[in-house]
Amino acid sequence: MTTNNDVLIKVDGLQKSFGSIEVLKGIDAEIKKGDVIVVIGASGSGKSTFLRCLNLLEEPTGGQIYFEGTEITDPKVNINVHRQKMGMVFQQFNLFPHMTILKNMTIGPMKLLKKSKEEAEKTAIELLERVGLADRKDAYPSQLSGGQKQRVAIVRALAMNPEVILFDEPTSALDPEMVGEVLEVMKSLAKEGMTMVVVTHEMGFAREVASKVVFIDEGVIKEENTPEEFFANPKCDRLKDFLSKVL
Amino acid sequence: MTAWIYTKYVDFMKGLFIDFGEWIKLSWQDFVDEFKLNFIEGDRWEWLVEGFGNTLLITLLAGLIGIALGVIIAIVRSTYDKMGPDLKKRGGIGYGLLKFFNSICNIYLTVIRGTPVVVQLLIMYFIIFASSTNDIMVAVIAFGINSGAYVAEIFRSGIMSVDKGQFEAGRSLGLNYIQTMIYIVVPQMFKIVLPTLCNEFIVLLKETSVAGYVGTVDLTKAGDLIRGRTFSAFMPLIAVALIYLVVVMIFTALVRKLERRLRNSDH
Repeated sequence: MTTNNDVLIKVDGLQKSFGSIEVLKGIDAEIKKGDVIVVIGASGSGKSTFLRCLNLLEEPTGGQIYFEGTEITDPKVNINVHRQKMGMVFQQFNLFPHMTILKNMTIGPMKLLKKSKEEAEKTAIELLERVGLADRKDAYPSQLSGGQKQRVAIVRALAMNPEVILFDEPTSALDPEMVGEVLEVMKSLAKEGMTMVVVTHEMGFAREVASKVVFIDEGVIKEENTPEEFFANPKCDRLKDFLSKVL
Repeated sequence: MTAWIYTKYVDFMKGLFIDFGEWIKLSWQDFVDEFKLNFIEGDRWEWLVEGFGNTLLITLLAGLIGIALGVIIAIVRSTYDKMGPDLKKRGGIGYGLLKFFNSICNIYLTVIRGTPVVVQLLIMYFIIFASSTNDIMVAVIAFGINSGAYVAEIFRSGIMSVDKGQFEAGRSLGLNYIQTMIYIVVPQMFKIVLPTLCNEFIVLLKETSVAGYVGTVDLTKAGDLIRGRTFSAFMPLIAVALIYLVVVMIFTALVRKLERRLRNSDH
């Protein structure tokens, strides 16, 4: 297998078990710079586990993951260094409730990238302006709506200037009228060429933005294709069945 | 007949009121005498002041030792619970060290929580620090070590009740385990445990009343010394009780204020 410089993340035979339950049964994937990979699947299929394995929030029980050519599943690797370049956005936002929005966004850059306070705050405010929340910089997370929280969570990840952002069902905990504002931000990121791996149930987003859609079922990738092919000509029966239920 | 009953009744009531008035007069005089005897004569009130000062000093220093010990033990124990399996798989010296410290913490918790504080105090004074004559420092150390065991368990339950997603969010930014603990988990833990922690502090304040066992003149001992001199128990003991009560009430009010301020970040 040739190592392509454009390949950001390479996954080889990834396995993950929780006790005796085998969730991932050998997943291979390649994520190139600028890719927007949308992962779909029924709940319990292992799609979130797959995503959480990519930055080792879940430690894989088998297989290898390479990030920028380094095997990060090697126990000797300092994963913290690599996580700085892999942003993550959670379903439950996970903003730090004891910090203001500005503090939420500057703690990473200040503690890890050794930026000065002024520098970190300048970047943070620029990013907040981008998502229309600069005026809320001194608010606490509990004072924001769900959609606002998730937009802050996205720019908090961006503040670390990551190579890739992992989205774990970013709109699933939102009220329906707030889904749009979060998807808009994600779309604009995709257009700018940000590499993204998105676990979601938003088929519209997948169709419009994805460079590749991946269907995970029973712990393996059952099908992957361009969004046009994926939705128009699903090949495996499980996917046909799944799509008939969600579309 | 009715007239006779009436006069008897009037006489009785007169007597009652005169006696009552007399009783009040005498009691007030008694009260003033007792007060003078117990607090003014021989400047005995100074003992209470000294004892009160010692009680506060012991409680404060012991509380600080307790919090310091508690944080360290809570972090060791919850790290072992959370990271133990991962570290074991990875091998190396880290897991061995962590396991060693974790067992030390467990022994400490078992011994301290399994024996009375008075016995610990006596052991400290008569065995471990037998050569020391600084009874206040011995009391501070004994109560600090005792309190640490309880505070550790309070902190550990606090760490465990911080949402798991907070830890994950910290780690996903690239913060390491210790940074995530310091910047993300522990500040939130303090807020969760604050009421319980203050309760522990109040318990500690009252627990120091056994410091007299090793000859420390704390508030309780001071009251008891006065009682021994004046052979009058009521005044000094009630005074001591009132002082404890007032301190606890003031402290509770302060804590309530602090809690309200902390709540500002979660409307």
